[in-house]
Amino acid sequence: MADLIFYDKAAVKVTVGNTNEVLLASDCSVSFSSSVQPLYTIGRKGSLGQFPSAARAGEISFSFLTSITGEHDKQPGNIINYLASGIKGSINSNASGALIQVAGLSGTGFLSSYSFNVASNSVSTSSASFTLFGSGEVANNQNLNVPISGRLANSDFSPSTGANPAAATNSVLATGIGHGRFTNLDGFRTELTGPTSNGTIFGADYSISFNHNPIYKVGQEFPSCTYYTTASESMNITEDVFNSGLSFSGVDVGDVMLNVKGLDSSKQMQVGLSGLKQINSSASVGLDDIVRTQKTLVAAY
Amino acid sequence: MLGRITREAEKLTINGSGIQGVQSVSANYASQAQFLNNLGVNEIKYAPEGPQQATLDVNTLLTQLLPEGAGVDSRDPMLNYTGDLAFSGTVDHGSKAFQFTEGYLQSYSVSCGIGQIPQASSSCLIYGDFGTGLFGDFEQSDPIDQVLNVTSFSSMEINLDAFKTNRVLNFDVNIATPRIPIYAIGIDTPTGVIAGSPMEVNVNFQIQPDDYEIKNMRFVPEETVFKNTTITLKKNNSNDILLTYSFENMLLSSESFQGGVDSDASVNFSLRSFILR
Repeated sequence: MADLIFYDKAAVKVTVGNTNEVLLASDCSVSFSSSVQPLYTIGRKGSLGQFPSAARAGEISFSFLTSITGEHDKQPGNIINYLASGIKGSINSNASGALIQVAGLSGTGFLSSYSFNVASNSVSTSSASFTLFGSGEVANNQNLNVPISGRLANSDFSPSTGANPAAATNSVLATGIGHGRFTNLDGFRTELTGPTSNGTIFGADYSISFNHNPIYKVGQEFPSCTYYTTASESMNITEDVFNSGLSFSGVDVGDVMLNVKGLDSSKQMQVGLSGLKQINSSASVGLDDIVRTQKTLVAAY
Repeated sequence: MLGRITREAEKLTINGSGIQGVQSVSANYASQAQFLNNLGVNEIKYAPEGPQQATLDVNTLLTQLLPEGAGVDSRDPMLNYTGDLAFSGTVDHGSKAFQFTEGYLQSYSVSCGIGQIPQASSSCLIYGDFGTGLFGDFEQSDPIDQVLNVTSFSSMEINLDAFKTNRVLNFDVNIATPRIPIYAIGIDTPTGVIAGSPMEVNVNFQIQPDDYEIKNMRFVPEETVFKNTTITLKKNNSNDILLTYSFENMLLSSESFQGGVDSDASVNFSLRSFILR
């Protein structure tokens, strides 16, 4: 019987360059797939067999508590936020990926999506998804080429984001977790004039997705390199003001800094959104509730 | 020796008025701190999850009421908070006290039976602060009225459509006043508390019937809607009206009949209506 790995020994560790973090993940899924398809010919009833039609690829996705006390290359916040900020702000297209390790499995992946939410009186949660193409440049050890390698085993690392890491077995208040109670999103509220009406924000969902382009060459399964191409960012804000002044080209919002804070108000995670445009306004109401409005802000990189 | 805090050292004050006739008062809050579990967990961490609220439950005998002409809708102080109004208050116990702000009535009920003094129960939600050490000085409380105005089963009147020759054993009135707190990002108290609509009113009676007839189970509007339901509480052995509970167009929601060898026949019936606001 294989070793049974309980969740407390299955921490998720992400390494980007020289910095790494063990995240406060609440779930994680790993998949690894081959792409094969049957081939048929005329004059033959059955298939010739099933043959590869694309390189093997993997995907790792996980959800985690939005930890804000980490610092990577002097940027406050968790490593996924650091990675996303770095990619969308990069001028270099050649992507190096991030090493993800969980329960003995590991692989180098490219961030395909990242999102988090902030809601009133609630702990903020994030999620991230990586696509793993493998690498054709690591030639000496064949196993290092594959997108995902390893076998299930207990992780030899664990999160250490408590107030006092030395007292790891004691109960601590998670001061380093993003929380809606302590986050101010007034910079995103709708403000109408004549008469003045300023929105009250009830929640916000942030997401960004990245496109990566693996470059394959003849004679090799895995890509020689992978290029980051584009990113699209969006933020859905729930508030109580409907802006009917949406224009044909959207409403310019400009550059806004999103600061996610937790119980320790001296710490914050920052997301810089550039060239934001509002492209959508909606309002909805259900029984026993007020009319709530939603607006979608988007940016592209 | 440890001291005891007995009833004479306990006091409930709401909006500066000392509530009289209190039979019981209970208040509580629960921490919203939730365990943050995660893969690879190696320490116990907590974080607040959800809004913090407290509750206050008060049970009073209707023996002392607000003075007549006090400029309020009802002489029972708690019944005046079925609307939008919030209240604050203090619970004194011995030399200690705790306070609360932004309290809203969530449900109110009054009940009485033969041989009893009418009793009112109020259940309140506290959306503001609750506890000690957070507040400025509260105004001193004054008892609402030291004069005894004891309501009594013997002098109350119940008026239902065509309801005359049946003996009421007990009744209760329950008013639910829903509250909808609206929480925004960045603040732990609601930015607003909406008085939900409609309010649901349930009135239950137990009677010993004389000419009362059980209605038809099939819905017959003219038989199952009481156009006027009024309960008038008067001062004991007097015609002085102290409190009136009056509702229109209440729907008969249930009836039950009980008969037995050692008791008179009795009928329980319930009325229900909704009040838009």
